[in-house]
Amino acid sequence: MSDDAKRDGVEIVGFACSYCSFKASEMAGSLRLKYPEGVKVVQVPCSSRVDPAFVIKALFEGADGVFVAGCHPGDCHFIKGNYYTRRKMAGLKEMLNTFDIKNRLKLFWVSAAEARRFVEKVEKMYNELKDAGHEGKKG
Amino acid sequence: MKGKRVDVEAIRAAVKGFLAKEGRLAFGFVESNGGVRHQIQRTEPRDLTLFNPYFDLNGVLYLRRFFSKDARILAILRPCEIRAYMELTKLTQVERTSIIAVSVDCFGSVSSKEDLKLPLGEPLALKSALEASGKVRYACTLCREPRGVLGDAGVRVDAEGKLWAQAYTPIGEEFLELLDSSEETAPDSFAIAGGRPGDRFQSDMETFSKDFAKCIMCMNCRDVCPVCYCIDCVFQGDEYVPKGDAFINKVFRMGDTALPLGKEIFHFIRMYHVSQTCVGCGACEEACPQRIPVTKYMKGTSERLQALFSYMSGRSFDEAIPYLTFIEDELKDAED
Repeated sequence: MSDDAKRDGVEIVGFACSYCSFKASEMAGSLRLKYPEGVKVVQVPCSSRVDPAFVIKALFEGADGVFVAGCHPGDCHFIKGNYYTRRKMAGLKEMLNTFDIKNRLKLFWVSAAEARRFVEKVEKMYNELKDAGHEGKKG
Repeated sequence: MKGKRVDVEAIRAAVKGFLAKEGRLAFGFVESNGGVRHQIQRTEPRDLTLFNPYFDLNGVLYLRRFFSKDARILAILRPCEIRAYMELTKLTQVERTSIIAVSVDCFGSVSSKEDLKLPLGEPLALKSALEASGKVRYACTLCREPRGVLGDAGVRVDAEGKLWAQAYTPIGEEFLELLDSSEETAPDSFAIAGGRPGDRFQSDMETFSKDFAKCIMCMNCRDVCPVCYCIDCVFQGDEYVPKGDAFINKVFRMGDTALPLGKEIFHFIRMYHVSQTCVGCGACEEACPQRIPVTKYMKGTSERLQALFSYMSGRSFDEAIPYLTFIEDELKDAED
């Protein structure tokens, strides 16, 4: 993992709920669906475990973009976790919007069966960030 | 609305009556050494004053994590302090039944660093002196609620400079009962109108980096913030701001690193964490040794984020903090 090779690609950190989105990313692997290698998925027990502090830390320490993926509203394993996620991420997006870097955070709802949708969403985000260049990237 | 005609002496007498019983404390402002400072009084309300035009810090900082049900505190403070107190009650950081929170009309304040003589006794003279000085703090010029209409009870100033005490909750009635005068109908118009909301805040990373370039990460802004209440702040340990070997490893990984490390992360995380509870008191800016316009960012972003959920920090005791509740059918466009 040489530094120069790393810097050419877009790096995305993803926080994926272990009950749905992370399962979807695993299923994408078993279906041999490819998604860009700059995407690093972090497994979290529930999308509401993601404190916006994690997102901010990732954004300022080198990630070009961050996504938070959870179950569809109403399908949370813990009944209501993703409703809180939705409010938290809507707030965080509004805050990033204040600083004109809104496009660097995405929120996805992906169920365990939606491997294809997961790949599509991630690829779309990757391409968007790639087209936008590496504006504001640190380090 | 019903209220009682009072003056400073009447309030002092009421506080004295309150302190006569066991386990009672009074928290308010006291004139001392040419300025006005917070003081907690146990025996007698000496030099107690209602108005404090010199802002040093938000006094509710000292009520945080006060859970005793044996002691009772009568707090006569500024509206921004009472708002912070109301937010802390929602976060269960303070015992509500033990505190009688009385907000007093505020005409704005100057920094406590200013060497400015102001007429403390006369409300209307104080108001015009503050307006004439042109040194009112940024946070006060954009205050959202300078009126004493919050908390359990309030002290208002009418157009002629007379003081009126009003109760808003059953706890506040207790304060009103301490006052000697009889209840009358309070006037409709008071010396100060409602808040002066600013424009929608918009910034960008460039301005942000420029403004915070001087930051030395002393974290004073966090320490004096009344609503930044976590005991284990994420910045307490080495996780967010690595030290020693971990720090050197990070520099090898990231390349050229500006110091102090992590100041953008620190301010962004703080901005988010207090976004729904920020009352815009400006204590952070007052505490900043580098004169960074912290309040502009904290207040600006928090007002935008509160508007998202039609919330206003410290507006009422019953409104839930947006991040602690939800509605199933909302934010349809949150997903990308």
